[in-house]
Amino acid sequence: MSYINIVKEFIIETFLFGDDRNLQNDTSFLNNGIIDSTGMLELITFLEETFSISIMDDELIPKNLDSINNVNAFITKKLGNDTET
Amino acid sequence: MDFNKDILKIDCEKESRRIEQFIRKQVFENFRKKGIVIGISGGIDSAVVAALSVRAIGADKVIGLILPEKESNPISAQYAELLIKKLAIYSETVEITPMLESFNTYQKREIIVKKYFPSFNSMWKFRLTMPQNLLEKDRFNISSLEVQNPEGNIESKRLSSKDYLGMVAATDIKQRVRMIMLYYFAEKNNYIVTGTTNVPETMQGFFVKHGDGGVDIEPISHLYKTQVYQMAEFLQVPKEIINRTPSPDTYSFVVSDKELYFCLPYDILDLLLYAKKNKISIDKVGEALNLEKEQIERVFRDFDYKKQATNHLRQLPPVLNIL
Repeated sequence: MSYINIVKEFIIETFLFGDDRNLQNDTSFLNNGIIDSTGMLELITFLEETFSISIMDDELIPKNLDSINNVNAFITKKLGNDTET
Repeated sequence: MDFNKDILKIDCEKESRRIEQFIRKQVFENFRKKGIVIGISGGIDSAVVAALSVRAIGADKVIGLILPEKESNPISAQYAELLIKKLAIYSETVEITPMLESFNTYQKREIIVKKYFPSFNSMWKFRLTMPQNLLEKDRFNISSLEVQNPEGNIESKRLSSKDYLGMVAATDIKQRVRMIMLYYFAEKNNYIVTGTTNVPETMQGFFVKHGDGGVDIEPISHLYKTQVYQMAEFLQVPKEIINRTPSPDTYSFVVSDKELYFCLPYDILDLLLYAKKNKISIDKVGEALNLEKEQIERVFRDFDYKKQATNHLRQLPPVLNIL
């Protein structure tokens, strides 16, 4: 299952005020000024609440959270791991 | 352009004269006021600006205010008094705790802390900190709430975005109340208020808009922190102040500038900020500071993120028509 649409919708509504500005799935949120560190905290809170997961401090890295694709892969892995355990 | 570890060494005597001239010109010619009010925090930046102000316009035209509150480190007021005595300037101490209580500043913050640490009480201390491993790995500048109980045990939790913003907004009231007091004294004496912000604070947005950033002049905003230290030595600022670890002194659990925001020691931070600003090649920087390319690029990205996140602090209110 892909979480791309859920994440994309949240990013567009929350940080781009409804204007998608041609946001691509591999666009870096930080390098393109879409999300700052406070925004990242907002994204983390959204992911934890929406997917009922806990994101650990050592998981707070760009590889997991700095684009729609990265978030999708991270959530997929987290939910898969949660199911296994 | 050359780059080495000594690139930020300055001729303090010459620099002092330049800043003194700037202060005189601003006070008497630009603003046409009679003197300067400065908040003396007990830290190095305000000590240097106060000393420069005295040299520029005379001790009789400088007022130093000590503005402690119940969570201030007691050493701050002691060091502030030490400086005031040395500079022989008029000073007043105004305890701002009642004003902060009238805004429910402490209560607002305690409600947030108790959500995460229900056993928290007034005997505990707390602070915000950022991950300190900037040179080691890619990570985000996400603050954690750290508490210390009376037994000295430390625990840390990440705040939600809403609680983080609430904590910062409540804490920033402290600097804004201080700004109100500085302007009260400035207006009643027909003086101006001087700021004490330096290069890393200005570039990276480590100040409160309309708080410590709410001033009439900024005499050291072109000096890197290590240059402020050089000036402090030249101006014979008390050793206790020079040797003190820089801290904003806004949380009950003492936190340094590095732990709260910069994540790098000032000597490296200054040189990397200088290198980025002056477009020094990564190879040259790496060679001079013995850092890997990856580390430098990571720090440069961090500079960009912090600068971008704090752009609004440096902006004047946009207007439709310039009058």
